[in-house]
Amino acid sequence: MGAILVISIIAGNVLFNCLTRYTVVSNQVRSWKNAIYAAEAGGDIAYAEVRKTLADPANAWTGWDVSGSVHSRGGISIGSNGGLTSSTVDRFYYDAAGNPWYLIRARGTAPVYGLKRTGMDDRMNKSTKGDSLLRKIDFNYDHFIAAYGPKGDGVGKSLVAVAQPQITRRLELVAAPITPFEAAVKAIDSFYGPGSAGLIDSYDSSKGPYSFVADDPSDPRYVDSHSGGVAVNSADFTQLNGPIYGSVSTNGGTVVPSSKIAGTIDNNVPFSVPPCTMPDFGFPKASPTKVVSSTTITPSLAGTAAAPNYYLLTSFTDALTIQPFGTSDTYVAIHVTGDIAGNKASITVKPKVFAKIYFDGNIDLKARDIDNQSGIASHLQFYGVSPTDPAQTQSIDIAPPGDFAATFYAPSADFHMNGNPDVTGAIVCKTFYGNGNTSLHYDRALATEGTPIDYRVASYVEDLR
Amino acid sequence: MKLNRSRLQQAGGYTLTELLVSAGISCILLAAAVTASISLQKSFNAIDNFFSSEMQQIRLVDYMTRDVKRGFSVVTSTDLHTVTITVPKYIIEAGDAEAIANPALIGTPRAPSISRGINGMQVNYGTGTSTIAYSINGTTVARTQDGGVTNVSTSASQLLPTTTDVQLANTEFSKTVVTFLPTFSSSNAAVLRASTATHSTAYLRNKRRGG
Repeated sequence: MGAILVISIIAGNVLFNCLTRYTVVSNQVRSWKNAIYAAEAGGDIAYAEVRKTLADPANAWTGWDVSGSVHSRGGISIGSNGGLTSSTVDRFYYDAAGNPWYLIRARGTAPVYGLKRTGMDDRMNKSTKGDSLLRKIDFNYDHFIAAYGPKGDGVGKSLVAVAQPQITRRLELVAAPITPFEAAVKAIDSFYGPGSAGLIDSYDSSKGPYSFVADDPSDPRYVDSHSGGVAVNSADFTQLNGPIYGSVSTNGGTVVPSSKIAGTIDNNVPFSVPPCTMPDFGFPKASPTKVVSSTTITPSLAGTAAAPNYYLLTSFTDALTIQPFGTSDTYVAIHVTGDIAGNKASITVKPKVFAKIYFDGNIDLKARDIDNQSGIASHLQFYGVSPTDPAQTQSIDIAPPGDFAATFYAPSADFHMNGNPDVTGAIVCKTFYGNGNTSLHYDRALATEGTPIDYRVASYVEDLR
Repeated sequence: MKLNRSRLQQAGGYTLTELLVSAGISCILLAAAVTASISLQKSFNAIDNFFSSEMQQIRLVDYMTRDVKRGFSVVTSTDLHTVTITVPKYIIEAGDAEAIANPALIGTPRAPSISRGINGMQVNYGTGTSTIAYSINGTTVARTQDGGVTNVSTSASQLLPTTTDVQLANTEFSKTVVTFLPTFSSSNAAVLRASTATHSTAYLRNKRRGG
């Protein structure tokens, strides 16, 4: 009996030691992970609210506290183990197009259950610090507030007791606007091109006019020449013999590396393109209301990007010229309720004019009939207003001869280009077809152009203090 | 008189035979107890060592996952045992330009700035980045950040991490497998090592830059 008792005591002690140490560590590891999950949940909650500023502005920030440009929300329970998250959102930066960027700071806290002791790896010496350096556990006091202050800026340091052992992890995210023209071509359904004598590359108009340098690494403009990316939200990607100096992404495609694609390839990149809706620019100017003969628009004031000179045209079958207001940068928005087509149809945009053309119908023009005299694509932007019937498709047909600089945002349109036009700008469409000698030169300056269509998380940093 | 003699006979001790038998039995029991104790102690050491190695394995994976998530790029050596991660310099440290200008800023976070890089608009924390390298040195796995070394694990059980990284259009992910060879092993070491594998996949949460 005595021997049995002795053996039982020894076995029990072994089991106790093993389980105690393992339980302590597993609790701490679990809490450490739960804390980052809570922090990321807080970041996601804030990010969703930022996206609402575009998708549902009337309901954005409901339930949030506001102080100046900072929105905050705290004490949100996460999971079933007592996790908490809180976040603040600060509109901290405006890009060149006036689009806001948001700084999100999220904090996630998870309780640490079990015994109050440090990790199992207690072989502590000057070089091996075990778990303590990685997992900063607040057993009695919040170490972050004590050392760095509640905001981490060194202000307001104080000793704050915690109700129970906990781990808090902090994230800082930056939500950046997604503008329509982040790639040379963004096609929802299919991509076909470029032709054997064509290509897709890029340049930066802020550094000078376009010149082909994609095969010359010694040229200082080379760094801007390999951003002619193509993104297709389907598996339907067909590359002819023309090279693509940029990355290619598809959604379920089978694109493989080749000498004709200079960038990275990713066949698992779904994306969404919101329909194009007509903004509200208020009441249009009294005239003109049609372009059925050669017409010139000279606004009586310069306007702004947010409040341009607005014209409503019910027909567009002839030549239109848009002049600036004196020597000022002049902003013009035109809504064409039908097609932009006809043997005489053309658009001439003089330098200093920033024109946005919204069309409900189709476009059928020769490249030479799109005359953007500044040579900068952002100065002439076409927007195909999506039909209310999603099954209805628009068409944009560009025929030779000629070259032009412009952007197209027409998620409901089949974009078709043949012959030998050289297009400088960017295209967002439903399907893209570019054969023959058609080339597209993406302007990297377009990355901040256009009305944001969504937000993405552009930066992720964890505060390791 | 007869009654007194029988009482004396009943008050006697153990016989030699009984003593020898009981001693023998006691020895056997004691031997069993000692053997069991030794076995239990060995089991405890084995379990303790196994848990210790496993916790170091988990710690290594957690360290790497945390750094990969906040990284700009991940590069793995040819032998898959060295991983180099580039991360933003979020905190102002002694010796940084901001700290030299104002020492009170040491230990405080930098404000983000926006610029256009090769891959488009990007968020920057200061003008430089920090480099973190995980490497094996004997039985030690070290994490080196800008020259400062932290031994993440010093396992006598031959902790062995292997990492592969896959570049995608905008991001990158690294797959890490960490194994160890238990100290108490009796058969095929390769099988035992494989059975202790911990797998982890971590994606860069930042848009990949360069590399």
